[in-house]
Amino acid sequence: MIPQSHFLIVSAILFALGIFGALSRRNAISILMCIELILNAANINLLTFNKFSQDPQGLGEVFVVFVIAITASSVVVGLVLVVKIYRNARTVFIDKMNLMKW
Amino acid sequence: MPSGIMQGTIIKSVFYLLSGLTCVFAFLVVASRNVFHSVISFALCLIGVAGIYLYLDAEFLAMAQILIYVGAIATLFVFAVMLTEKVKMPPERNRYILISAVVSLAFLMLLVNIIKKAPWKVSAALQLPLSLTQLGKLLMSTYVLPFEVVSVILLAALVGVVVVGKAQK
Repeated sequence: MIPQSHFLIVSAILFALGIFGALSRRNAISILMCIELILNAANINLLTFNKFSQDPQGLGEVFVVFVIAITASSVVVGLVLVVKIYRNARTVFIDKMNLMKW
Repeated sequence: MPSGIMQGTIIKSVFYLLSGLTCVFAFLVVASRNVFHSVISFALCLIGVAGIYLYLDAEFLAMAQILIYVGAIATLFVFAVMLTEKVKMPPERNRYILISAVVSLAFLMLLVNIIKKAPWKVSAALQLPLSLTQLGKLLMSTYVLPFEVVSVILLAALVGVVVVGKAQK
């Protein structure tokens, strides 16, 4: 059987890549994708602990259902905002979005 | 039993191949200059994550992951890319790339150290994986309140998207 730590290490790699992308990209759509990567890493963690220490059985799976639903709604709202900002300000680069700065 | 051992090695090597591919595609999401390429590798990375879910005894969630993420969210990202900027773009990095690389690498090292050293609690007698019927019963009995709250959030997101995305007069 594959040990628990290997699942956790895969999830840690995904998490670190997501953090790196969210901090270093300029395009708002890319940043949303990197946030999705972070949430997927969290899902892998939840399912790993659900499998290996089944304290209340099935809590991890239920939680992953909720995380997927929340992620879908958040990404839809984020993409609509990005498209709307692009229509108004003609840019998707977050360092160019300074409409609300004085 | 040699055939059982053989099967075990195949299962293990498929897992490591799958997680390696997932990490490579995640790196491509972060690293590729073309946004469209990074959307494609994002979809492939999510399929890899669904495969890892299969190794964690969550077949329903793996299928839901492919349906929701690859079917809906990746398509939405493609639409957003098409609706906004030209695919060939000026520099895709901001000026914090070096410091963010250092920070995320240090954080990864920290996490790996913790994962290797921590005494994770492993329950002695592993129970059978949760069946889909049991998952549905849990969602409808013990966790019914968060389930309803999530449905309200989905409705709010739907209404909010329609209101924000509506063409202005």
